[in-house]
Amino acid sequence: MIKSILKLFSVVFISTSLTVISTVASAEITINWPSIWVGKDSKSTVISELVDEFNAANSGSIKVVIEEQTDYDIYAQKLTAQISTGDLPDIFTVGADLLDILHRSGKAMDLAPHVASDSHWSNVYPDGALESNMMGGQLTNLPYELFVTPVTYNKKLLKAAGYDEFPATYDEFFKMCEAVTATGKVCTSQMTAKNAWTSMLWFSQALASAGGPNVYDRGLDDPAFVKAFEVMEKMYQYTTSDAVGADAGVSGGHFLNERTAVFMNGPWFIARYTSDGIPGLHENIGVAPAPMLTGGEGAPGGYVGGKQSSLAAGKQSDPAKEEAVVKFLKWLTTPENVARLSYSSGAMFIVKADLPSDMDRLFIEMNEQKGNAPYVAKTFMNGMGSLPIVSEFPQALSALALGEVTPEGAVEMLKDAE
Amino acid sequence: MQIKKDEVVWLLLFIAPTIILFFLFFIIPILFLFVTSFTNWDGISAEFVGLENYTKLFNKKSFVRAITNNLYWCLTAALITVPLALIIALLLAHRSRGWKVFRTVLFIPQVVSSAAIAMLWAAMFNAEYGLVNFLLDYIGFSDYKNHNWLGNVRTANAALIGFSLCYVGYFMVIMLAKTAGISEDYYDAANIDGASQFQKDLHITAPLIKSTFFLCIILAVIFNLRQFEYVYLMTAGGPANKTQVLVVYIWNELSVQRLGRGNAAGVIMIAIGAILLLSLRKLLKSETYN
Repeated sequence: MIKSILKLFSVVFISTSLTVISTVASAEITINWPSIWVGKDSKSTVISELVDEFNAANSGSIKVVIEEQTDYDIYAQKLTAQISTGDLPDIFTVGADLLDILHRSGKAMDLAPHVASDSHWSNVYPDGALESNMMGGQLTNLPYELFVTPVTYNKKLLKAAGYDEFPATYDEFFKMCEAVTATGKVCTSQMTAKNAWTSMLWFSQALASAGGPNVYDRGLDDPAFVKAFEVMEKMYQYTTSDAVGADAGVSGGHFLNERTAVFMNGPWFIARYTSDGIPGLHENIGVAPAPMLTGGEGAPGGYVGGKQSSLAAGKQSDPAKEEAVVKFLKWLTTPENVARLSYSSGAMFIVKADLPSDMDRLFIEMNEQKGNAPYVAKTFMNGMGSLPIVSEFPQALSALALGEVTPEGAVEMLKDAE
Repeated sequence: MQIKKDEVVWLLLFIAPTIILFFLFFIIPILFLFVTSFTNWDGISAEFVGLENYTKLFNKKSFVRAITNNLYWCLTAALITVPLALIIALLLAHRSRGWKVFRTVLFIPQVVSSAAIAMLWAAMFNAEYGLVNFLLDYIGFSDYKNHNWLGNVRTANAALIGFSLCYVGYFMVIMLAKTAGISEDYYDAANIDGASQFQKDLHITAPLIKSTFFLCIILAVIFNLRQFEYVYLMTAGGPANKTQVLVVYIWNELSVQRLGRGNAAGVIMIAIGAILLLSLRKLLKSETYN
């Protein structure tokens, strides 16, 4: 009898202990973050450090877990599906093209009450930066990474072609390309795979140059679109033989290996000139605003850029988890942490941060040129405001590059996509 | 066989899980697909738009090209891949020395992820550093030194479909398995009659595995109607939509939030699949010898 009671007591004691242990263990809040800032991404090291430091500081109460997303396009498509199904991650980054649907889904956490209840974000963001992101009184994203896309060029290769300065007009630019080709090198890195990113940036530059920074307001009937495609048609005469079908890795790889002389991408690529480029590449790189189209509505020195990614969070039913998510978002947006991210990667952020005086030379040049720019026009991807048109762009561009359609035909392909 | 009244309850009880799962994961999604194909559903809201999605799809060159390309895939699989698999199966059925090695080598690609195969071939076809151009240049075709196989409208489809034809292992194994079940008596009789190996293959083995051969054709058509990985990873339907196929087209529609139109394309794909299958079944009716 006593044995039975002892057995029963032991069972009750063990199960109670296990319950208590599991309750204590489950008190730790786990925040899942499907992050694109992993692997080869220039921000991956510092992001990983920031997460580790946050986890260490909140040990036992909050744990941020990074789910590695190594392909930007696949991530964007996955996120699009998650927005539709309402199955949003705890924390995520979102591109400007998905902000509208994210807000309309009603599944994103409204950060407006948190901004109002705490001075952190009003202190770290420039005036009006958060207000301009509000929709219907809600703030479903925090603008985070900014970008500009100047031309980066290999000074050594241009010098070999007889050029000390980067040309200011497209007429001169294509003459320079002839000269570069004559030296046995290829002038530009282009691509058409996925979203045709680097070529899309060139197209955006030509578009702003032809039609001015507000060209998108006038729609696809504006002649500037045809002019921009004319520039791209010529651009593909001076690119690598694998440009049609190439992705950003191939396009960037040619420039990193000095096969091409001119490349266009955002400041986040700066770190890769050193980490992945051939020895000495970084020292040879120059930065310049894109050339201008003679007779265009753009202005010399005009830049293309905008919001690259915003931070957002899925709606939470548990107030404690919501607080934990907000705490981590604040951690990511402290001026010190943003300065670290910027310093290591070369990326630009909207958060006010005291950047070290020894920032990368290319970053400083880009920042200065951006400051002097008469405008920073949107990219085609962000400016068009239409996912189907943006999605059709690579096909229209490849058709143009292969001579399947004229510049007018490429514009028609975009119109047809809508 | 007569089913007794008290057995009906048990019968229903036993088939209920299958019926329920079939409805849940097959009938309901298809109904959902069909209903939403008449809306402009974008994942957030939906309005009834009648046949607009269907008319817009059929007015799009890229969609019609996707259907045509899918038919090319199906046709080449049925006319080249499966017959090629049959020839290899017949050769391996002789159980010559080393046949197991060949069988394994040919089957290995089936256990490798198709994504990995696609990436491998994309690198092989690369214009700047691809092995295909290197080999062509090496054997004297220097015009192809920098040819962009997947980025050229004239060669993209051929390159894409062409390399996939090499993957015959799956069908070869199915047909080879069937040959193992053929009674040795037939071959003994043929040997007594003095038949050559070719005659035995042609008049005994081939007819006896005809039903399996036809099954392989049907499977190949189904597989190629839903072709996705190779096209998506190697060309994404490009250049200029020339290699577009139905599933990639649907994927693109869904990724730009045009779920209603994507679903309409899905309905059309199901209809094409049903028509193809019914036609093939009628066309390839065969008697079984064994």
